[in-house]
Amino acid sequence: MKSPEVSIAVTDLSLRFPVYGMDAKSLKKNLARVTVGGRLGSSNTGATEVTALSNISFNLRPGDRLGLVGHNGSGKTTLLRALSGAYEPDEGQIEVRGRIAALLDLSLGIDPSATGVDNIRLRGRIAGMSSKEIEDKMDEIAAFSGLGPFLAMPMKTYSAGMQARLAFAVATAVEADVLLMDEWISVGDAEFKKLAHRRLLNLVERAGILVLASHDTQLLRLYCNKVMRMEGGVASEVKDIRRIDELLAAA
Amino acid sequence: MESAQHMLRTGRRGTLFEFSMALRDLAMSWDRRGLAWSLAWHDVVSRYRGSILGPFWITISMGLMVLGIGLLYARLFGISVAEFMPYVAMGIVFFGLMSGTINEGCETFVQARNMLSQTALPMFTFVWRTVLRNLINFAHHAVIIIAVIVVFGLWREMDLLPALGGLLLTVLNLSWISLLVAIASARFRDIPQFVMSVMQFAIFMTPVFWKPDAFPDRHAFLTLNPFYHMLTTIRAPLLGEQADGLSYIVLAIAAVLGWALTFSVFAVTRRRIVHYL
Repeated sequence: MKSPEVSIAVTDLSLRFPVYGMDAKSLKKNLARVTVGGRLGSSNTGATEVTALSNISFNLRPGDRLGLVGHNGSGKTTLLRALSGAYEPDEGQIEVRGRIAALLDLSLGIDPSATGVDNIRLRGRIAGMSSKEIEDKMDEIAAFSGLGPFLAMPMKTYSAGMQARLAFAVATAVEADVLLMDEWISVGDAEFKKLAHRRLLNLVERAGILVLASHDTQLLRLYCNKVMRMEGGVASEVKDIRRIDELLAAA
Repeated sequence: MESAQHMLRTGRRGTLFEFSMALRDLAMSWDRRGLAWSLAWHDVVSRYRGSILGPFWITISMGLMVLGIGLLYARLFGISVAEFMPYVAMGIVFFGLMSGTINEGCETFVQARNMLSQTALPMFTFVWRTVLRNLINFAHHAVIIIAVIVVFGLWREMDLLPALGGLLLTVLNLSWISLLVAIASARFRDIPQFVMSVMQFAIFMTPVFWKPDAFPDRHAFLTLNPFYHMLTTIRAPLLGEQADGLSYIVLAIAAVLGWALTFSVFAVTRRRIVHYL
């Protein structure tokens, strides 16, 4: 799966969020603005913009494991979502070569009233697998989740831990070249945690590039070989993971 | 997650570029049409999970309405049941497809919020999901139509081909309306209520339950109502009558203009839609 072509190139990326206040979201307000002209206009010109990312540039090659550090709201998740292709840049560009798998939200596309097997199929389709690929992997996913006969039951009958197991098993069944993660995923009981850890490592190894956002520097040291610090939507240079303390101290 | 395994996202580069990106989204949704189908099928299955009859419950309630209105109004209007029952049956079922596709269009993007904000799935996938879901439901309700065709012996004189043409034109039009209200509803939360009121109004203004005999042919009251054209092009041929050729032309023009307009709106708002949600 690892091909020399896998790469991420981000150039001068800026991303702004328009915040549509609850007021601006109502059509009446907008119509009112038209009819009463400038009276409301000055205070109600539509959306306020929040700059979430500004002027970010970096390049990643196969074998790069980038850790993202930064406070809450520094833009880590936004950057991951932009890399996944969900958010469009306002300026600059993002180019990703290779199959992207974004493990940002385990519960994505999970329907609690459907059975475990149905959820595996649905989630697999959303992740870009064909029905054949899913059927091929079904046994493996089922075995890994360890849920056995429960897979034929609706997911709402599962305990929270069982739900997490299944979600994790499906989400990590993808073949990906670029893996995006918001915090290292850690689910289930102690035994499953160990299994999950091994599986995730495996996935990371197969993937060409990993981008992992985390607050846990220990963890980043363990899994990443590069690090980038985000602050208020501005990114530092990409540095070697050994210089993480230096990078954090610079604040 | 793009099939091309190559994703390029850039800032605005002019209107032409926005249109090409919108086209790309459309093409991508075609490449992944299986996903739209799976989602639509899953919607239907999960809505009626645990129920034995599933979507047929709606069919039954439609059937009851057809029976009640067919018998009662036939008497009130002094028309024979054999003439009125198939008429109203088709009216209710086809109008159900129209109002369903448009009303549920409001939810298209709002419902897909989670998926849109963290994957590169094409936005058109969710538009097709809504349209396909309504077609699946419609396929269940078509039982009623088959029933009246058999019971009242319409198969002897019906003309299937123009009806299918009308259905195709109708679905083409419904799709763009559905997308348009989807974008509008994502941005303005009043739109779903507004659309619902319009559709409720439309069911009475359109000859669903009544016959337009009181109007001269091509009266503005009818020709200005898009739902009239949709309904008549499908229903008339099935009743063994000929639909006005004008209606087919109106629908074809509306489909072209409507899609041009809606696609432009989509191209311009595409990168913002995820932020509306």
